[in-house]
Amino acid sequence: MHRRELLKYMGASLVMWHSQLPLASEQRHPKLIWILLRGGMDSLHAVIPAFDNNLVKQRKNLLKGILDNGLPIDDGFLLHPELKHLHQWYRQGQFLPIVAVGPQVNTRSHFKAQDILESGMYPIDHDSGWLNRATTAYQGQALAVAHSVPIGLRGNGQVSSWFPSKLPNAEADLYTRLLSLYETDPQLQERLQQALDTREKLNDKMGARIRNRFSDLTTACAKLMAEPTGPDCAMLEFGGWDTHNRQAPRLNQQFKELDNGLQNLRQTLANTWNDTTVIITTEFGRTVAENGTQGTDHGTATAVLLAGGAIDGGKVLGDWPGLAKKDLYEGRDLMPTSTMQEWMGAVVSQHWQLTTKQLATVFPNTNIRSNQIIKTKIA
Amino acid sequence: MINNKALLAEVATNRFGLGARPGELKEASDDPRSWLISQLEQPQFTPGLPNLDTASKALMAHREAKKQAKAQQKANATAANATKTQAVNKSTKFKNSVNKVFRSLIHDGIHQSIVSEQSFSWRLLEFFSNHFSVSTANRSMVAVAPLLEKEALAPNLFGQFEDMLIAATQHPAMLLYLNNEKSFGPDSRLGRRMGFNENLAREILELHTLGVDGGYNQQDVHELALAITGWSITNPKTSQELDFVFRDPGHQPGARTILGKRYADGDVSQAENILRDLARHPSTAKHVSFKLAQYIVSDSPPDTVVNAMTAKWLATDGNLREVITEMITHDAAWQFDQQKLKTPREFIVSVFRAYGENSLPNNLLINSLTELGQRPFNAGSPAGYSQVANGWDGADALMARIDWSAKISSRIKGDPLKISQQALGSQLTSTTATAIKRAESREQALALLFMSPEFQRR
Repeated sequence: MHRRELLKYMGASLVMWHSQLPLASEQRHPKLIWILLRGGMDSLHAVIPAFDNNLVKQRKNLLKGILDNGLPIDDGFLLHPELKHLHQWYRQGQFLPIVAVGPQVNTRSHFKAQDILESGMYPIDHDSGWLNRATTAYQGQALAVAHSVPIGLRGNGQVSSWFPSKLPNAEADLYTRLLSLYETDPQLQERLQQALDTREKLNDKMGARIRNRFSDLTTACAKLMAEPTGPDCAMLEFGGWDTHNRQAPRLNQQFKELDNGLQNLRQTLANTWNDTTVIITTEFGRTVAENGTQGTDHGTATAVLLAGGAIDGGKVLGDWPGLAKKDLYEGRDLMPTSTMQEWMGAVVSQHWQLTTKQLATVFPNTNIRSNQIIKTKIA
Repeated sequence: MINNKALLAEVATNRFGLGARPGELKEASDDPRSWLISQLEQPQFTPGLPNLDTASKALMAHREAKKQAKAQQKANATAANATKTQAVNKSTKFKNSVNKVFRSLIHDGIHQSIVSEQSFSWRLLEFFSNHFSVSTANRSMVAVAPLLEKEALAPNLFGQFEDMLIAATQHPAMLLYLNNEKSFGPDSRLGRRMGFNENLAREILELHTLGVDGGYNQQDVHELALAITGWSITNPKTSQELDFVFRDPGHQPGARTILGKRYADGDVSQAENILRDLARHPSTAKHVSFKLAQYIVSDSPPDTVVNAMTAKWLATDGNLREVITEMITHDAAWQFDQQKLKTPREFIVSVFRAYGENSLPNNLLINSLTELGQRPFNAGSPAGYSQVANGWDGADALMARIDWSAKISSRIKGDPLKISQQALGSQLTSTTATAIKRAESREQALALLFMSPEFQRR
């Protein structure tokens, strides 16, 4: 049985995506995409403070070949040579790096730092993510590109999850019977309904099998989001940033994949890109000095990267603290001069036009930045 | 004390164990608690499987072939492609032999937990394998990752935690995975040329012992990292057998202070002494007891159970048999409500146990786990896979289970209703029984059973 017939057969509405609610601004459908780089991305290797001699002194091996080929942006910073598309976007005013941004609470534990970042609260609430609270305030729909919903999207708001699968689909009749068997188990019933709906949307859109590389996930994610009734926001995860050894070759690969993935996102979103904001964050930065295994260890401040047609970019934000020994956090890490939540709060409030009261539910006790981040007029 | 033996047997087999095999509910019902305690014996892998020696030989051969392929590629850049292809083929062949080591070990572990009469002990091994999680980030890790649970964890599963901790920390898989094999003290002879990092030390404190809020600071991380400098592996270029080796010339000289206690300058014993103290520390007792109870009993395990386990840990300096037995003896761990959704691995194993499977093709199990999102040794993080249900209860994860169940059911002979009763006993609801009876095919009936709430939860 085809899925459409199944819907009729069920006689119940399984459609979880809303028919678009009336919004404050008439024609806008602003999309928000959050990419979490798990493992601690080294911002000093992405947005490189080439003007600072201390960096060169502390990273004799890591910087080989990178300084010469770095892609110049403002204030003496260079983008890593593999961030080619981001560099173009910077020139088009669609990319905005924010430097020296720290976690809400300084910790060098991956898992604690990621949990804090995803929850957006401290003490951590493992069942409530900041993007879910934002989605709830916006009365929108969210998509987790994952088998299961990560902390960042957990909570009361409407969330579905999707991830590529190699398994052949079961017969539709089995899903129908299970939906009725799950009358006694509301959690399983809700999950199954969400999954059926996402599958229908993707099957309509995607011909070929989808692989689970980051750059393929962004394509699939964009297809789902570009639907007229597609989700308003999505969360993607991208691992492999914990570069304790062989950092330079590993980050060449990682940045290339990130850059390609973002380009796929932009191409697939097509016109939707014009009102899209992409937030790219990681749990913490890495030590300024290279360690003895051609890598870096866990540090503190890092960068927040913003991209998208809605971004008022082409500038570098954040106060630069310097890299002299005396300026470092605990004598070893880039000193944070702001927190990720201050910026993420600014993005979500400007992009989705949330009220101060709504914003306080997303990032409680946070001094949200007032910098202009989202364009006042969307193309 | 709860005393309905049939109900207790269902909890013993389906919550503590990996699901009842045919006849097992009856066996367990005589004395469900003793039945579980009698399972606390070292799980045995099939003899003759690859070990570190086989793994290193496969790796050596792969490296050698790769080098040759590269050299020939260079030499023949302009020549005909025939020899080049030959060399590449040879390299691929050895790459496959490394993969074969990996797959055969993983297959055996899951296969044993399917056929075993002590599935509880296999489940405990799986817990510690995830506690000391290693991932296959590169070719060397593919060969050695599955050996850690077999060589370092299984032999210590019911002994002192400190012995398990030291064995795991010294295992080549852990040293390679967390980059300690080349971490040398800044003031040591080797350290003047090569480096130092604190990766393994941090995860020992945060994940393996005290826990993130266990009361250590950056200085403790740094000191422990110095103490384990020189904990390395044999040189793969000169030595055939991959093994732990203590490189004294790379060990940071001097005394170390961790959690306020001073450890005199010494060889490998310096860090071993530190690890023993960490293993007995109250924070470790609480951290690991909580994780165990959360894994086995429920996402929010009862305080009474965790506290009793912690107290037993402290009284026995971390004797795992005693701590696990303490968990089993508490009524609060035996609540009849089925709550926690099975992990992908628990689910798959319980399906094959339900109808008494004894032999499965080599790649089926590892491929199944990959399809359900938890390929072994692929968590990608030293924290391992999540052990609370929201790590695997997403919409997409559920869909994958349904599709997998539909596919796998076509392999299975036997009467679906009988299999249901053997596996679930009185946990089988009349709703599910009716759905099974009304199914349009045997395959559909079995898929409904495996996907029913009472089979999905434990």
